[in-house]
Amino acid sequence: MLSTGAHSDSNIEVHRYYSGAVLIVAFLSLVLQAFLHKYGRWAELLDLPLLVTIYFGVSRRNPVTGMFLGAAIGLLQDAVGHAYPIGMYGIAKTSVGYVASSFGARIDTEHPVSRFGLVFLLFHFHQVLLAITQRVLLNHPAPFFTLQLLLDSLVSAALAVILFALLDRLRRSS
Amino acid sequence: MPDILSRHRPLALLAGLILIQVLLLAFQIKREHDVRLVRYWAVQLLTPGERAGTWSFSKVSGIWSSYVGLRDTRSENQRLKTEVEQLRMRNHELESRAAEGQRLAVLMNFRETHPEAPMMAAQVIGASADPTSHILFINRGERDRIRRNLAVITPDGVVGKIVEVFPSSAQVLLINDKESGVGALFAGTRTHGVVKGSSDSNPHMEYVQNDEKVQPGQAILTSGEDRIFPKDLSIGTVESAAAGNTFQVIRVQPAARLDRLEEVLVLMSQQELAPKKTEEASSALSSPQNRQMGASQSALPSAAAQKTANRKPAATVDASKAKPAASAAGTPQTAPPDNPPATVPNPSAPQR
Repeated sequence: MLSTGAHSDSNIEVHRYYSGAVLIVAFLSLVLQAFLHKYGRWAELLDLPLLVTIYFGVSRRNPVTGMFLGAAIGLLQDAVGHAYPIGMYGIAKTSVGYVASSFGARIDTEHPVSRFGLVFLLFHFHQVLLAITQRVLLNHPAPFFTLQLLLDSLVSAALAVILFALLDRLRRSS
Repeated sequence: MPDILSRHRPLALLAGLILIQVLLLAFQIKREHDVRLVRYWAVQLLTPGERAGTWSFSKVSGIWSSYVGLRDTRSENQRLKTEVEQLRMRNHELESRAAEGQRLAVLMNFRETHPEAPMMAAQVIGASADPTSHILFINRGERDRIRRNLAVITPDGVVGKIVEVFPSSAQVLLINDKESGVGALFAGTRTHGVVKGSSDSNPHMEYVQNDEKVQPGQAILTSGEDRIFPKDLSIGTVESAAAGNTFQVIRVQPAARLDRLEEVLVLMSQQELAPKKTEEASSALSSPQNRQMGASQSALPSAAAQKTANRKPAATVDASKAKPAASAAGTPQTAPPDNPPATVPNPSAPQR
């Protein structure tokens, strides 16, 4: 269901993926994220589920599937973690999935530079949503921006350029 | 309203999804995060993947570390082998030095306990190229006032005598050389004879009549009659004795280890060694450290013990005169009148 692409109204190409590729990649991103945390705090620099949400959002260019994929990934990320109540990452990633799909439907996101910039922006968008949710619903003074977050966003954006290039190989040739 | 929703369906879905999650959050906050079932299923869903990832990672890292470890092991093994070789060589060198030090300590002890007898330590620097002759070269010569016919000994016993002197070296004729002869007597019976070299590696004691009782293990000392070796130095022990034509065939086990000499003492005179001092030296040599130097060094104390404290020097016999002298203890002369001389050098052998 999620692996089949939908045509958008624009002239920008909508990519299709092999059956189950989206689910498997989303699942692996969650597993890997949890797995990497065992091997040190450096893994906290990365948010692989976020990158996967962005990638499939901009590639599929369908806001509905993008937001559902983001919601699923976010809720699972909440569920396997214990720091926040379920829904924190869900809300953020639902929004990111929607926005990424909307961007993907309007601009070309195939170029590495545009991918870098998009991931950089969406990372901070994701962080702002998390901070707002925490502040409003949990009354936690979460920061909107820190130098550490800036570093994280740069690392994530750089990694995304590589990861997206690898994930491009899962595309079905039309 | 429905028109607006259908026109902005994605946005409406987004709002709906977010609203649901906000409600979920609110529910959890109210119930203090109590959505255990959701977490349970999520963990159940992801745990197999994590387990597989951990297993794969441990396998890969295990293989990698084994490979790296193996590579390190090989280089480390090579390094350790080299180190072992170096240490083995070093150990050999140190053992050699320690043995040399022990030998020199024995010589020094011996020398210090006999201040009345001038002697000089020398190092064996070579041997004869002729396999049939038993000759050594020492690193003392004319410059060290070495001269011919000086006795060469070790704390264990008699070694030989100087036969040739060169500016910085000298030639020593060992007592087991065919051309060698040493005036000798049995420590117990004081029966005289001559210890001469033979065709085998051990010397023989000659001119001891068949009726003389000789037992293996009996100590043989210098008689002093050859005017080369001071009296009562240990020559060796009887290894075997058998009746011969007129005289017994007595095989002698030399007290000094003639086949592995490295340091020797050259007696600069025929001054007799004081028995008390000899005994002290022997005690010193019998210490655990020195005991390993030679099994036969105990011959010296036994010889010294048998010697009377104020014994007069035995009469020496001229090399040209034929009869062995009577023993100082009054033992009957066992050699017949036509005996060859019990002197050194052996007159029957060609002079060097």
